[in-house]
Amino acid sequence: MTSFEVANLATYYGRTQALHDVTLPRLGAGEVLGLLGPNASGKSTLMRCLSREKRSTGRILLDAVEQQTITHTRWHEQVGSMPQAPPAPSDLMPTELMWSTARALAINLSDAELAAKIEQVFVRLGLETVALAPLHTLSGGKRQLVGLALALIREPALLLLDEPTAALDLHWRMAVLEMVREEVSRRGGIVIAALHDLDLAARYCDHIALLQHGRIVAAGSPEEVLTPAALAEVYHVEAEIHHAPDGSLRIDVLRPI
Amino acid sequence: MQDSLVKDRQMFDVFRIDETIAEHEFVNPIRVIRGEKLSHVGTERTADNRDLGKPQPVQQKRQMVRQPVCIRVCGIVNTADSALAGQTKHRLVEDLASLNLRQRIILWEVRLPDALIALAVGAALGLAGVEAQTILNNPLASPFTLGVSSAAVLGASVAIVLAPSVTFLPEAAILPALALVFALGSGMLVLAVVRFGRGARETVVLFGIALVFLCNALTAALHYIADADAIQQIVFWTFGNLTRAGWTEVWIVSACFLLLLPFSLRHVWLLTLLRGGEAHARSLGIDVSRLRTWVILRSSVLTAFAVCFVGTIGFIGLVGPHIARLLLGEDHRFLVPGAALCGALVLSLASFLSKALISGVIIPVGILTAVVGVPVLLGLLFRQRRVS
Repeated sequence: MTSFEVANLATYYGRTQALHDVTLPRLGAGEVLGLLGPNASGKSTLMRCLSREKRSTGRILLDAVEQQTITHTRWHEQVGSMPQAPPAPSDLMPTELMWSTARALAINLSDAELAAKIEQVFVRLGLETVALAPLHTLSGGKRQLVGLALALIREPALLLLDEPTAALDLHWRMAVLEMVREEVSRRGGIVIAALHDLDLAARYCDHIALLQHGRIVAAGSPEEVLTPAALAEVYHVEAEIHHAPDGSLRIDVLRPI
Repeated sequence: MQDSLVKDRQMFDVFRIDETIAEHEFVNPIRVIRGEKLSHVGTERTADNRDLGKPQPVQQKRQMVRQPVCIRVCGIVNTADSALAGQTKHRLVEDLASLNLRQRIILWEVRLPDALIALAVGAALGLAGVEAQTILNNPLASPFTLGVSSAAVLGASVAIVLAPSVTFLPEAAILPALALVFALGSGMLVLAVVRFGRGARETVVLFGIALVFLCNALTAALHYIADADAIQQIVFWTFGNLTRAGWTEVWIVSACFLLLLPFSLRHVWLLTLLRGGEAHARSLGIDVSRLRTWVILRSSVLTAFAVCFVGTIGFIGLVGPHIARLLLGEDHRFLVPGAALCGALVLSLASFLSKALISGVIIPVGILTAVVGVPVLLGLLFRQRRVS
């Protein structure tokens, strides 16, 4: 059974401490954690520490195995990560990028299996029509979906998404998060997503952690964390919280404070 | 039959001139045919005329050098005629078997090393260029923007200026040896920056360009203190000239290329993936800094070996990869060998033109690489625009 724990995490940029004693709720199989916080609150830095791109102190345990006790390669076999920026607008085609990623990562699939897998991911993300178009001809949103497809190719136990919906339209914002939710609940994986959209976070996340200045201000279920007082403190906005008929939270941001 | 007789006659005449020159100048005829003296217009003291004392006046030597140039051009035009006339393989084999000793010497000691060094150097520069462009994510990157070539020029200049005072090495070996040492040295400096500058590609490119300026400045300083003969030799070296190469050079450059090619081919998936952006490669767990170290090491070594014997040959490392990219796309499984092939092809074309363009003169090939490469590149760019 997959589990993920982060405790007392700290990291530095030079002498400046970027994260202070970050502890996240313990996550189980099929759960989604949303990281919320204003710009420069440390969301991307935390994601980079979790994906092992950046050194940190503290404990990061996936299935009770400490991140630093296993090799870089072994860690990345279980962790898929999607950075904030979409893939570069080069002449490369999405299909070529997927194939080269799968082969560079030595994913153990035959050519036929890999082709089927790539097609399946592309269909789910609506990329099948642009699979053979150079990346530079694709919109920012499509390229972001290609980035997500790259992170999904290895079917990771832990999926780290840094603002996966930033460049997407209304349909794909929800479609992507629904797809990711369904994917992890089917395979028993875990997702951590840094998000800016509070409504999406409230709707699709089981847990939410609110970051400010590299510290966790609040962590727990969306109802516990997303309160008018917390939003006023962290985002400096006046907001009202409602319960929709389907039981999810609706956040009305009224004005900046 | 008639043609063949005429050709034989030409060859014979040609060689007779060679022998005369060789006898007159007290030098080995094979070395004259190989064109070793062609590359030293005027002033260089070769191993053969070392004992003759001071360099001879430029005018006198130039006269001496012109005749073998004619010989080479005649032969090449002959070969091209035969090729254009559509000779069969069978006929070619017959021709080879019927060559007399002199013709064989011309073929084996002059033409083949020339043609093969063009292939080897072109392929090495094309490969070095495509890897540098991808790993630094910079379409203007080439082995030359990393400073390797400028360092080779500096090494060659030092060799030319200091050669008379160095006695422990054969004179002919000093120039390529120092060019190689300086080029490899600059490659190591770039590698140190990759390693300790945490692999940021902007830092690498900036340092490479700074190195180019430093080497140019030091070469200019050597120009300042060197005598006129030495300056002429330095300038001639920077033109790049394939006729400097013999079989040893062909073997060394080919071996270097063939040894490093498998390592490049091992990295083709990673290099393709890198075209999707460094952030994605890192987030997928690829150690980009380590990859960059290996690729820049390979690129530097290839460039160093490619330029140390034949001098600076610019543009191939830039245009070869771009032509291959336009033809084959970004998939490095095809792009890496394609860039090497395009480099070899463009340099071979330039080498052919350097001999055929002006009757009786071999233009240094380094001057012609851009002349050949730019139209090819432009043609492909316009074709691509029409298609799109």
